[in-house]
Amino acid sequence: MILQLAIGTAEEKVRELHESLEREGLRVLRSRERSRPILAVAGTIPKALKDSLARRTEVETVVQPMGELLLVARAMRERPSVVDVGSVRVGGGTVVVIAGPCSVEGRDHVLAVARQVRAAGAHILRGGAFKPRTSPYQFQGFGVEGLRQLKDAGEATGLPVVSEIMDAADLPAFVEHDIDCLQVGARNMQNFSLLKAIARAGRPVLLKRGLAATVEEWLYAAEYLAEGGCVRIMLCERGIRTYEKATRNTLDLTVLPLMREWTHLPLLVDPAHAAGIARIIPPLSRAAIAAGADGVAVEVHETPAEARSDGPQALLPAELVALVAESRVMAAVTGRALHAPPR
Amino acid sequence: MNPALRHQLRHLDGAILALLDERARLLVQTSAADPLRAAPVDDLLRRHTGPFPADGVTEVFAAIDRHCAAFRAEDAR
Repeated sequence: MILQLAIGTAEEKVRELHESLEREGLRVLRSRERSRPILAVAGTIPKALKDSLARRTEVETVVQPMGELLLVARAMRERPSVVDVGSVRVGGGTVVVIAGPCSVEGRDHVLAVARQVRAAGAHILRGGAFKPRTSPYQFQGFGVEGLRQLKDAGEATGLPVVSEIMDAADLPAFVEHDIDCLQVGARNMQNFSLLKAIARAGRPVLLKRGLAATVEEWLYAAEYLAEGGCVRIMLCERGIRTYEKATRNTLDLTVLPLMREWTHLPLLVDPAHAAGIARIIPPLSRAAIAAGADGVAVEVHETPAEARSDGPQALLPAELVALVAESRVMAAVTGRALHAPPR
Repeated sequence: MNPALRHQLRHLDGAILALLDERARLLVQTSAADPLRAAPVDDLLRRHTGPFPADGVTEVFAAIDRHCAAFRAEDAR
């Protein structure tokens, strides 16, 4: 249950309410919202207490969010939250484009791609150093060396970087190399020990939807991060597994407008992993932005046929230029704007 | 006027205005050293297949260029 208190409620009153709920044996979480105090109460609340809370003068609205979601629930914020990734602000009325190679394939390669990403007008550089591959015989990524090369490419081009973390044991390497945003991949969305570990890292997290996860399960994974102390969480829809075989996965844009009602977290879409086919990524990106996504994440490679992973879904640099231009148009016609280039 | 038609026109005008704003933002983000190059109107006219008169296209884009240049100069000061 979420209690939205009246704007201007004295801190003393908020504390008194907070303590009185704790005396009832309930766990109380406070929103970081500055404009008004908002308290979330975890657990089962007796009806009599619920009724008495609703009658309190400082309680303006009592909201029952979906299930036990609290910290990520829409009612915990006055406005949708904005997540800073380096100098890029994700959410809040602008649209961002995240782009880069699926895998970091070498220092020169990732730098060349980063320059193309920057020149195209995209905002965040992505690149995998630890790769969760279906087959153990496929390229597994360059590991820590890949993180170093990605970060160097980001610094050389002024782009913040995002990379996937698969194992909590690798967290010190991500921190040491100052990776701006930690990505939790689809396969690890419900790896709760990983979520708990990275929640404490003080870094933004891009949480992809599990390939067989319901929206509720996805949001609970985000709640794990928030409950663990992570205050900068972004969600990324990347396609779910269905009976359809024409595409790698099925891009579930249906949930985007609903997610806006359920959570304050920024919503991104990765059409590349959903489609698995490069030529259909531009229309899916346009559709994602039209459906309200705060940005799209795509893969780019100069010679996709030679990519060490996911070549069939990589855009050519010229196609990325076109995608950013189209994203600008879609952002404008949906009442938003493309984010300015990173400083 | 038919309310649905009025609604559609208002929506289209809003989209046109949003696109003009986005164009102005993009020009401001461009390095001051870059010359202001508007998209050639000839190229637009070659691709133009709709009913909006060609003279009007030229006129509208000349006005857009003029206002964007003035806005950009003002922003640079």
